Amino acid sequence: MSRIFVTGLGIISAVGHNVEANRHSLVNKKPGIGKATFLSTKYAAALPFGEVDISTPSLKEKLNAFEKGTTRTSLLALHALDEAIKDSKLTDEELHSPRTALVGADTVGGMCLTDELHHDANKHEQGSEYLASYDCGSATLYLRDRYQIGGIVNTINTACSSSANAIMYGARLIHHGLAERAIVGGCDSLAKFTINGFNALHILADEACRPFDENRKGLNLGEGAAFLVLEKEGLVTNDHIYAELSGYGNSNDAFHASSLSDNGEGPLLAMKEALMAAKLPAGEIDYINAHGTGTENNDEAESRAMIRLFGQVPLFSSTKAYTGHTLGAAGAIEAAYSILSLYHGEVYPGANFSKPMAATGLLPVTVYLKKELRHVMSNSFGFGGNCSSLIFSRA
Amino acid sequence: MFYIHDIACISPQKTFSEIDIEHLNCPVGGKLPAIEPAYEGIPLNILRRMGKAVRMGVGAALTIAKQNAQGIIIGTANGGMEDCIRFLNQVIDYNEGVLTPTNFVQSTANAIASQIGLLTSNRGYNCTHVHRGLAFENAVLDTAMLLSENPSHRYLLGGIDEISAYNYNIEFLDGWFKKEKVAGKSLYQANTKGTIAGEGSVMLLAGKHANGASAQLMAIRMLHADDEQYIAGELKGFMAEHVSDAGDIDLFLSGENGDARLQKYYDACEAVLYKNVPVAHFKHASGEYATVTAFALWLACQAFQKQSLPQHFLKYRRAKKDFRKILIYNNYHGMQHSFMLIAKV
Repeated sequence: MSRIFVTGLGIISAVGHNVEANRHSLVNKKPGIGKATFLSTKYAAALPFGEVDISTPSLKEKLNAFEKGTTRTSLLALHALDEAIKDSKLTDEELHSPRTALVGADTVGGMCLTDELHHDANKHEQGSEYLASYDCGSATLYLRDRYQIGGIVNTINTACSSSANAIMYGARLIHHGLAERAIVGGCDSLAKFTINGFNALHILADEACRPFDENRKGLNLGEGAAFLVLEKEGLVTNDHIYAELSGYGNSNDAFHASSLSDNGEGPLLAMKEALMAAKLPAGEIDYINAHGTGTENNDEAESRAMIRLFGQVPLFSSTKAYTGHTLGAAGAIEAAYSILSLYHGEVYPGANFSKPMAATGLLPVTVYLKKELRHVMSNSFGFGGNCSSLIFSRA
Repeated sequence: MFYIHDIACISPQKTFSEIDIEHLNCPVGGKLPAIEPAYEGIPLNILRRMGKAVRMGVGAALTIAKQNAQGIIIGTANGGMEDCIRFLNQVIDYNEGVLTPTNFVQSTANAIASQIGLLTSNRGYNCTHVHRGLAFENAVLDTAMLLSENPSHRYLLGGIDEISAYNYNIEFLDGWFKKEKVAGKSLYQANTKGTIAGEGSVMLLAGKHANGASAQLMAIRMLHADDEQYIAGELKGFMAEHVSDAGDIDLFLSGENGDARLQKYYDACEAVLYKNVPVAHFKHASGEYATVTAFALWLACQAFQKQSLPQHFLKYRRAKKDFRKILIYNNYHGMQHSFMLIAKV
């Protein structure tokens, strides 16, 4: 089976509008959680968010994206995709090729326009300009149109693990000879819909989230997008290879609609499967970018799964303390961070941590470390028990 | 690609337990609602909380998932749209007040695959494809890849979408449903824009071995384009690659839906086939929805099993020997196209 290399990255999140700015915030331990400026919700004052600090009209301006019905979700996606394509130096010819696939992921789609959707869905009168922009497929279809990407196009929604599965699907298209290159990732923007949904589940923290801390109070919602360019070995002519995607695993926890089993069966199976695919023993993993949402349930279940699998748990941290939980974008943003970790030989510190969980005693990394890394794991777990794990290795 | 071992279909017609597709249920108010069976095997307290898409998905799945699938792959453009907007309405109507999370949890598109996983304790591969008019096709491709990775496995593959009053409104405003009343085959004569709304759930068990299978999925192709001549050219290529003799197709299942704007795509693809190939259409029975090709696949399996199709499905009443190979062509909203080639086992 030919190897798959990552040759391009693009990220936009609460800690930066591009890859370099994101890395700078992680290296200098500068989280992006705070008061939302552009978001319209009753909770804007009471709850902190990981908002991307640019307005939707400014994004349109910056990206020259004035097509009718373009949503914030699509614009964030476009911003990250554009960076990844330029980073990988893909030509128009390569983009239009039937051998170039595009796999996106999101959970909110155009529902960030909660009020417009409410109007269009309930009334039989003049529709808004967003009639074709509410579903999850709309963001990927917008990107496909804009770049005329010629190969297989797909959108995945497995809740909070969506874009990890998009990365996996793209890699498998390459392995099966259905594409030689896949642009993969995900996006989501802050929405009244998700804020109220997570709030009804009582898992939003009223302070900056504290992944893996004994006194954690829940998660912060964030927004953003990230895309990776995956290319088949032998195809890559430039020397710009960040990492190899060496393994992936997908498993269902089959326990509860909105929480993980206590001992993290699904997370354990996903990590195990990723190791098997990478043909690596557990001890070879040097660092884990954990799912680490900061909720009571996730962090304990994930910790238990890591202990069960590794015994001696490798260095780990959660970068959700920086970006918030970006839902459909989280898997891709964190995969990109994992790749940057490998490429630059550095471990990004977890933030807001003070006291280990009594139940597990695990200590996440809390200071920036310079360290040669060979294999990095990135975890993503979602509602409905959808667990996925990716492994990136030094190319 | 893979064999179809078992297939179940909940649709606007009698397709679930006692199958009778001779008699045709007609749309009411532009919608063809699915006939829901009395669901067995779903605990009542759980059933009560499920929206229609989740109910139909789980209900069809449970009839065949007993046979131990190693994973669950679902295509659905919208998942539980009704729950989604119901929750949204609460958000707006109660001005972001105190809400219950049930509708929110049920509204995520992956609720169908995850509920099936939960009720059958399936910890295998689990994925939900939501790429609008190609959500089911991507689920098919995912399943084909999984089976080539693990040839001894079997996977549960499904395509589900529901009509919700809300997405009907949205798509109606966007011009995708007819304003005038149409019933039965008059759908294809209207010469106006739009079609009728449908919904349904098709679940099948896919495996790599022919033993005990009813049909084989030979090939699939997905395209994003709006030029009918390009689509027809791609169909020619698809046929050249997968069918040794173009006359070898016993039935062309056309996704035409009475939308005058989309007829050119179906006509162009029909023209690629030999003149004597029988053509059938099905959307007067299923209605239109993003994952309706799953219904077409079920219908093809019926044709193989019965070696006939009720007259109302046939567009051109040409005499036919027997059904061995069926080609399905569908397009959704003029931009997303797919070809599927299915053979009798």
